[in-house]
Amino acid sequence: MPTQQAWGKKVTCLLKSYFTIIIMVSLTEALDLPTYKDVEAASVILRDVANRTPVQTSRFLDGELGVKVFIKCENFQRMGAFKFRGGFNALSNLTPEERAAGVLTYSSGNHAQAIALSAKILGMKATIIMPEDAPKLKVQATMGYGGNVLFYDRYKEDRDEVASALKEKTGGVLVPPYDHKHVIAGQGTSGKELFEEIAEFGETLDYLFVCVGGGGLISGCALAADHLAPGCKVIGVEPEAGNDAQQSMERGEIVHIDTPKTIADGAQTQHLGKLTFGIMKEKVHKIITVTDEELVSCMKFFGERMKMVVEPTGCLGLAGLKKLVRNGDIPANSRCGVIISGGNVDMSRYCELLLS
Amino acid sequence: HIGESKEYAESLVENEGLVYVNGYDDPPIIAGAGTIGIEIIDDLPEVDAVVVPVGGAGLIAGISCAIKTLKPECKVYGVEPEFCASYCKALAAGKPVPTEVTPTLADGLAVPVVGPRAFEIARHYVDECVTTTEKMISLAVLRLIENEKMVVEGGGATGLAALLPGGALDRPELKGKNIVVPLCGGNIDTTVLGRVIERGLSADNRLCNFVATVTDRPGGIARLTKVLGDNEASIKDIYHERAWLHTNVDHVHIKCVVELQGKEHAIRLKRALLDHGYKLDWDSVDID
Repeated sequence: MPTQQAWGKKVTCLLKSYFTIIIMVSLTEALDLPTYKDVEAASVILRDVANRTPVQTSRFLDGELGVKVFIKCENFQRMGAFKFRGGFNALSNLTPEERAAGVLTYSSGNHAQAIALSAKILGMKATIIMPEDAPKLKVQATMGYGGNVLFYDRYKEDRDEVASALKEKTGGVLVPPYDHKHVIAGQGTSGKELFEEIAEFGETLDYLFVCVGGGGLISGCALAADHLAPGCKVIGVEPEAGNDAQQSMERGEIVHIDTPKTIADGAQTQHLGKLTFGIMKEKVHKIITVTDEELVSCMKFFGERMKMVVEPTGCLGLAGLKKLVRNGDIPANSRCGVIISGGNVDMSRYCELLLS
Repeated sequence: HIGESKEYAESLVENEGLVYVNGYDDPPIIAGAGTIGIEIIDDLPEVDAVVVPVGGAGLIAGISCAIKTLKPECKVYGVEPEFCASYCKALAAGKPVPTEVTPTLADGLAVPVVGPRAFEIARHYVDECVTTTEKMISLAVLRLIENEKMVVEGGGATGLAALLPGGALDRPELKGKNIVVPLCGGNIDTTVLGRVIERGLSADNRLCNFVATVTDRPGGIARLTKVLGDNEASIKDIYHERAWLHTNVDHVHIKCVVELQGKEHAIRLKRALLDHGYKLDWDSVDID
């Protein structure tokens, strides 16, 4: 006869199953996170396709900051930004059927060009959904790489709906700009290469400074750092006006913000991804912010002293390092890595900023 | 110019006993510069040609000596700005001769007389020397910045300038070959860089300026800017000038600087403005 004890047992049993399901679901989510093995696999795929970009140093910078800086120059990457790595890796991992159906994405920035170029190399069709008012140069660049651009009115239409409708119609695969296992793994190869290259000279890193938009680059690099230099502190840098990642790390959950006003147009994302945040909260030491002025100052430094063009977003890493050195947070002689994300900046904007 | 500086420096040797090190004609300087040639052969043994900017001829003397010694079949070309073609002049005269210097974007190459030692070495090894225009130099700087993300000074980009479409080395026999272009310097002020980029954009028909004559009555400028907007021209600068127009008292000059996408776009815009009946002063774009 059911007694209180029997009921108690039933309830406990139910509760146990309930919690088991929850744990299994979260474990399943965790299982979907890329690991260093995925970064290694990506580096094989990218080997003769991506540029093995240089790691540069500057005696002037080292003298000024009292540390040793190693700069991974993804501005010299194909299509001018690290995004090529993730894009190409993602498309390379599609099945033949998926490839035949073609790839879809939405972006007006470097990811659009990365997907268009990668698709062209792999002989695939690519459709990129862009707002009508996307900068002409970016539209042209994307089309130049063979991408089909589909415009939508960002004030009247919903990007996700447009993407879903297109997916239904064509059966194409959607490759998002950062919250994707193979995209993250691809981006991480930039960090892997940095560690490998300096290891040839017997060096490693105490710190690694990486810009943060949606978190694809920093989470990929954090996977590399964790495996190749576990003592290295990975520090994310965001524009002051768009510090959603910083807030997310502090709160322990993904924070959404409105599109921030900053010259760092690659870091204007409104929120981190589930996968990227999943990695960041375990493996990133902290997130700091810098002002637009600090970015411009770094842009001028790169141009004048290191003779290279870096877009404002690409300056976040160095600006972050400089800030922490100023604050006395970095011990003298520390080995500091900086990833330059890209060099795609509109020419008249570049002139304007240089002359400011 | 640098010739005057050289004279003054030489006087300091006399008066103060300092050692004068010529920037392009001292043998150790030439030898040092020539290490670039050694590195080129090391890095790319399959090189077919090297294209070197020429100022005082020290760099090309060193590089050509190295290249021709290590790989005689590799061609070596020199490139000078047409505003200071001192090496070409020296070749024609059989010896270094003073050349008139006009201010050039390739300021590092503005040397009025090539060094005599450098000249003797270079003429022995260099296959040919050509000149390039200011327009091509600014385009070369722009291409390097936009496509390669590299900041190179005018003189440093002069080799590439000759190889661009329309340049003096844009030749069928060089197509498909392995050509090394030393980008010999990147010391350019960011303010100067900004201006050089603008010149490049202008050469590329992406930054255009013209003067349109419009009516002085209300709405005149608005109608003009509407045509510009309808034709996707982005206005960078617009200046309204009244006092210097001598013919019609009720018309004014509007000077415009617009950002366009290239030659086709410039032609379309010019045609649109003419079709709307505007009197235009816009020589740099030809409509056939």
